Amino acid sequence: MRKLLTFVVALSLLVSGAAFAQSVQWDTKGPYVDEIILPIIMDQEARLIALQRGDIYVLPGLTQPSHIDRLMADPNVDITVSPGYHMFYLAMNMRRAPLNDVVVRRALAHAIDRDEIILSLFQGYMLPLAEFVPPASPFFNPDTDVAYYDPELAKQILDDAGYRMGPNGIRIDPRTGQELREMTILTPTMEVAPTSAMLGVMVADAARSIGLPVKAEPMDFNVIVERISTDLGGDRDFDMYALAWGLGRFPTHLYTLFHSSFDVDGGDNNPGLRDPEYDAAAEKVWTPRNLDEAMEAAYEAQEILSWLQPYVPLYSRPYMDAFRKDIVTGYVPHLGFGAASSVSNSIWTPLNIRLVNQERGGSVRWVLEQEPGNLNVLVGTSAYDARIFGLVYGPGLIAAEPVHNEDIPWEAERWEVGTWTTPEGNEGTKVTYWLRKDVTWHDGVPFTAHDIEFTMEYLKAQRVPKYQAAWSNYSHSEIIDDYTITVYFDNVSYWHTYNVSGFLAKHIWENVPKFDEFEPWKTPHPTVPGLTMMIGTGPFVFKEYVVGEYVRVERYEDFWAGLDR
Amino acid sequence: MSRAYFWRRVGYGLITLFVIVTFNFVIFRVMPGDPVSLVLSPEFTPEVKELLREMYGLDKPLHTQYVLYLKSMITFDFGRSFVTRQPVLGELLSRLPNTLMLLGTSFALNVFIGVWLGTKMATRQGSRVEMGVTGISLFLNAMPGFFIGLLLLLAFGYYWPIFPIRGTMSVPPPTEFWAIILDRVHHLILPVTAVTLSGYGSWYLYTRNNVVGALGQDYVLTARAKGLTQREVLYRHAFRSVLPPIVTLVFLSLPGLITGAVITETIFSLYGVGRYLVDATLQQDYPVVQGCFYIIALAVLVCNLLADLVYGLVDPRIRLR
Repeated sequence: MRKLLTFVVALSLLVSGAAFAQSVQWDTKGPYVDEIILPIIMDQEARLIALQRGDIYVLPGLTQPSHIDRLMADPNVDITVSPGYHMFYLAMNMRRAPLNDVVVRRALAHAIDRDEIILSLFQGYMLPLAEFVPPASPFFNPDTDVAYYDPELAKQILDDAGYRMGPNGIRIDPRTGQELREMTILTPTMEVAPTSAMLGVMVADAARSIGLPVKAEPMDFNVIVERISTDLGGDRDFDMYALAWGLGRFPTHLYTLFHSSFDVDGGDNNPGLRDPEYDAAAEKVWTPRNLDEAMEAAYEAQEILSWLQPYVPLYSRPYMDAFRKDIVTGYVPHLGFGAASSVSNSIWTPLNIRLVNQERGGSVRWVLEQEPGNLNVLVGTSAYDARIFGLVYGPGLIAAEPVHNEDIPWEAERWEVGTWTTPEGNEGTKVTYWLRKDVTWHDGVPFTAHDIEFTMEYLKAQRVPKYQAAWSNYSHSEIIDDYTITVYFDNVSYWHTYNVSGFLAKHIWENVPKFDEFEPWKTPHPTVPGLTMMIGTGPFVFKEYVVGEYVRVERYEDFWAGLDR
Repeated sequence: MSRAYFWRRVGYGLITLFVIVTFNFVIFRVMPGDPVSLVLSPEFTPEVKELLREMYGLDKPLHTQYVLYLKSMITFDFGRSFVTRQPVLGELLSRLPNTLMLLGTSFALNVFIGVWLGTKMATRQGSRVEMGVTGISLFLNAMPGFFIGLLLLLAFGYYWPIFPIRGTMSVPPPTEFWAIILDRVHHLILPVTAVTLSGYGSWYLYTRNNVVGALGQDYVLTARAKGLTQREVLYRHAFRSVLPPIVTLVFLSLPGLITGAVITETIFSLYGVGRYLVDATLQQDYPVVQGCFYIIALAVLVCNLLADLVYGLVDPRIRLR
């Protein structure tokens, strides 16, 4: 019965994710509302109360089952569900016996009941994940042979490999003839992350049920990070740990998390996977010539990972966002990013949201869960900074539509990806963009190819850490005319197409000597009263940030995709 | 109190400050993890981590970092937060008014209610009223502050929504002067009540116990024998004798006003020092924790010195020595 319930809940989540493909209504034009006010409410309970009493209309990122149940019971609240780019996983240290034996890792993977974990700890509000790319991604390989729950098979695998059961219920290592040593799973503590701590206990129980001596060891998060990421001369101080990754639209994590070059101090290949065949596939994922090549390589990489099992993927978190349906409508669930959880990746809800009783105009209240850290787009890294950046800067040259995440032209009308030969004789990537001619910065200055060239040059000259992926292989730009530019990179990778951006207004930023000391949101615009130096080309203009209280943005009258354009 | 004594205390204070400052530097560097490795993202490659270490100055040798750190403490230029890249002193000062407003108000209420009620109830020891007040005070004192805060939030923010549940002002805020003041007061009622309810009990119990003790002393019996009124006996004799430790406690509690109330600040979304300090500690934001702890250490030392000075003023025996 419990399994059936899990299945039903998981299926309903999946179906709701797929169903919005037909039901989602969205438009590239907007915004409909005059302003968005983002009050800062730090406490979860207070945010729920604020939504229920109408102080806010949008509450992103519900995670707690009790909160979801409470809001589902509220007739004025609508909750959208979108499968997310997220992975909670159990990692294993492949440098140490017995986890250096793929048989043991696969047996453990077969012993873990994901449905039970999701039902017990999350009341079904998570999606079971056995693959290394979440199903929300177009790069997800549905035919991967993954290790599903089958404890009898797990025991059989160990028996067949010579790990016979010893008298104490612990298997005997065929290589040493001794009982397997006790292994530990590091998890955050009960106080910090109760579900992760309990998950560690459940996985340890599952391992013991097939004769693998495993215990859970909750500890301080900082200690876990220190132990899993510090290289100790070819080893790291852990057997297993359970943590999560937030992933992106493209499967580049298959390279940065598992390629052998990241099995170094500070690198994220924590399990220590070193497999030449996998490396070759991951390199193709990292530097594909086109999307087809990326897809093929990602499929191959997933198959290899599923066999080598450096992680046991456990579940994926769907984005669940709550709206006051009696006050607002027009919100757009975006596959992988939710309807309101990740504005920097999905502009569709800010563009399409409107008041129920008013086709155009009015104000929407969209909560900020924490104080923004820094509203300088080159510095701010928190999700709350990103929400403001998403509203002010918009998607950039290329946007992703919400249903299948396919590219759609945004500030670039079209683009073309090719190759060139670098002065050193290597093959590089070049991307030519043809820009829209009606895009303007919030101060009315036209957005041109010069802004793109300036942005790329500035990022490289200032060595901006946040955008290292964008500038590290950037070579130079060639301006063909004010609205056409070719950007050159010194290696081959289709992903460079998405690394090019022009979010720095040249006429503002060319006088900024140190990027990290600039506070554009506090600095008045030199010529336009009422504006700050924080100007973008997105649908909303930054108006004010009252520290500790709220952020306010207003609809940009001359937005190129505005309703009256 | 002699001048030599005063300067000796200042000297001890400075030595203590140096030791604290040094510990402050060492402790965060021997803690597991570092500000760069704590950021978990598949896009956070070793190259990006190296760039950040360079930007934060963590690539410099430890002794160079220590010298730069001492210089920053002396000049009160604590540098920029690793996380927000904002100047630490500016962020701290911008948060201080909310914290002082919340904790200053509730501290004054705690002391006033606790001492007044404690003194009153000491005279009615054993009565039903005294047992009731003591029971309630013990109960509130034992209740976690966050629980009281959440109860208030639910009661007066949800079921009977007469108070705002976040921040210090309405969104958008009023523009008239008196409307602004009233708006601020309206927003402060719930958080101040939460901190006061969870804090006055200890003052009440301390005062009550001391006054009860004093009322049993011989000099109080003598005062009663002289025919003084109950009020005179209570305030001129019994209460006067428990005043010095209360004053000392007040001064020793003052530094707590700038360390903030993390839970209350979080529940009521107040932009305060407490949350800032806890977040910075968890994220190992060295400039912030170093700057904040330095200010707190200074405040503790100054308040200790003030307590010594004022103790002499309220206790004639100390003044005479």
